[in-house]
Amino acid sequence: MNGHHILLVDDEPHVLRILRLSLEREGYAVTTASDGNEALAKMAERLPDVLISDIQMDGMDGRTLCPLARATYPDHPFLILVMTSMTAIEERGWARALANTEFLEKPLSPRQLVARLARHFSAPPAKMEHVNVA
Amino acid sequence: MKLNRIGLILIVSALAVIAIVVGLLVQRQQATHAAQTDVKGLGLARALAALPAATLTPGVLQALFPYHDDSDFAYASVTDAAGRTIGEVVAPGTIVPAGPLPAGATSGFGKRTLAGTPGRNIVEFHGPVADRANGVAFVRVGFRQGGHAMLGRDVSFFASLALMMFLLVPVIYLVIKREMAPLAALASQVPGLGDLPAARRDAHDIRDLADTLDAYLRTATARIAELEKNALNTVADNRLLQYGSKKLNAALQSMPDGLLMLDPGGEVSFATSKIEPLLGVGLEELLAQPVDNWCRDAALAQLLLRCRNGGSDTVRGRTVEFCPVNVPGKHLTATAQPLTAGQGAMAFGTLIVVRDVTREHLARQAGNDFVAHVSHELKSPLNVITMYAETLADTEEPELRVESLNVIQDEVERMNALVGNLLNVSKLETGSMSPERNRVRLDDLLRDAHDHALPRAEGRDLRVQLDIPRELAAVAVDKDLFRIALNNLLTNAIKYNRPGGSVTLAAREEHNEVVISVRDTGIGIAPSDQLRVFEKFYRASERGAQAPRGGHGLGLYLAAQIIELHHGRIVLDSVPGQGSTFSIHLKMAPAALEGTTVL
Repeated sequence: MNGHHILLVDDEPHVLRILRLSLEREGYAVTTASDGNEALAKMAERLPDVLISDIQMDGMDGRTLCPLARATYPDHPFLILVMTSMTAIEERGWARALANTEFLEKPLSPRQLVARLARHFSAPPAKMEHVNVA
Repeated sequence: MKLNRIGLILIVSALAVIAIVVGLLVQRQQATHAAQTDVKGLGLARALAALPAATLTPGVLQALFPYHDDSDFAYASVTDAAGRTIGEVVAPGTIVPAGPLPAGATSGFGKRTLAGTPGRNIVEFHGPVADRANGVAFVRVGFRQGGHAMLGRDVSFFASLALMMFLLVPVIYLVIKREMAPLAALASQVPGLGDLPAARRDAHDIRDLADTLDAYLRTATARIAELEKNALNTVADNRLLQYGSKKLNAALQSMPDGLLMLDPGGEVSFATSKIEPLLGVGLEELLAQPVDNWCRDAALAQLLLRCRNGGSDTVRGRTVEFCPVNVPGKHLTATAQPLTAGQGAMAFGTLIVVRDVTREHLARQAGNDFVAHVSHELKSPLNVITMYAETLADTEEPELRVESLNVIQDEVERMNALVGNLLNVSKLETGSMSPERNRVRLDDLLRDAHDHALPRAEGRDLRVQLDIPRELAAVAVDKDLFRIALNNLLTNAIKYNRPGGSVTLAAREEHNEVVISVRDTGIGIAPSDQLRVFEKFYRASERGAQAPRGGHGLGLYLAAQIIELHHGRIVLDSVPGQGSTFSIHLKMAPAALEGTTVL
């Protein structure tokens, strides 16, 4: 266990299952939710270090969840990774407006995600500060 | 000169009249004279016959008769029965004609004409003498006939009469000339009146004038008739023009697009009534008004302004697309075309064609949405496949490997179904899909579809029931197409259901029809959506679905199209919150097909 907490949000159970497997294998603590409301509930129980969310979900979708999460926890600028496909390129405007938010291209490789997270957690905390200010 | 001729005619006729008058007077005088002679002669004869015979001697006679002063008096004689002269008195130069008296001379007085000398006849009056003492005697009195000279007073009377008449001639001539003057003036004017024949231009007298006037009247009448005909033609032409104009206007008004005509100054000079609903501006607000006053759509206003500025911009058509401010939800295009009668001809301004492209816009948007959605639908299984493939490569756990393979297979099938539907829709729309209808055992087909749906339903905690009678009439369908339709209905019934719910696939016979129904206990379809769910790309609201799967807006469209190809119909009965039932009504296969292969 490396102690980092990852919150996975997707309405596709297969995606949740594989990503959970991949991340847990790397020692992350993983919580999953199938839509925005569930994610906010899980967040309230335990704040994540990284939020990984799909966009298109029934119930509360990623478009609503991410800004809401940012607004709800202004003192905790955790990294948000939004899983998106190239087709939703016009959707990206709202995500750009959010601080410390990046995209993950679909189809998503679990290996790449693991690598991305490793990079994130090995980076100096200064970067976090910078992003926070932004 | 015509007047001179008239003068001549007047003189000649005056002379003729004078001659006739004089002749008549002379004749009358002669008649009077003859009558006077008769009275005189007879009176004298009677007077002489009344005298006693003894006194009728020549001497007495000579004394008695003063008549020898009368120039016409010829003789007076008394003769006996034998014709011997008893006594006579004779005017000089006259011989008493010899000869017997007529037979009736003894009974009374008579009158006879005898040849006298020289060349002048003698009128003789005779009668018996009353005193017959000396036997029968006769009295004869003769007067010369006609021979008379015109008396001096007669000559002067005739001369003064002729003079007076002659003096009348110039007076009449002057009067005529005076009366003729306006006519002469008219005659000189008539030739200028119109297109008269050249021969008639030099009129000489009244007849010529009358002829000229007559010719003029005929020409004028013909001209009037021609003008009336022209007027009629003009009226007819005018009506034709009006009719043509109205027809043209009707054609313009009937056009599905709205038309605006701008005069070269940039103001709207004509607009069809279609403009009103399109732009949401009343015609009276925009006709002959500055564009800024009524046009609230920036793109249109800019287009109209460019037309006003004229120049090269109006030469080629320009199109703008905009949403009218006054009519929300509409998409319009406005195309400007120069309004000319042809290349290089006069420009009448600009024609603006306003077209409602809302449908096209929505279709385009639906198309775009569809592509985005299909991409997403393809990406989702691809995403899962990618992840499981990687897992498969990385893991040694046999269970996870089996799971990975199963999931990959499922997702491939999901993609395959989508691609299959897309291809079928494409085939349907190009018309290349022609069903091969065969008599089919419907229960097998339904059971097959049921079995196919089972695994998908179980993953969602749904029961799938099959409710078909033991005997079911055969139907003629294209097995492959019909399976697509059934699968799409079942997929929806599962997709839009709720955990713990059920899907029932049933069939029954009803009035020569086989009714196949797919009933679910799902979220149902709102009434507003029910009419549209069979439209291509249309997706009903998914509110209320707990574990929804984005549809691609093709399943029901495809199912309905396939049923239509089978001459059947599909009926939807749905209560939001309770579930939906889709029923397929198919005609039973006719008996004629009884012997054909049953697949």
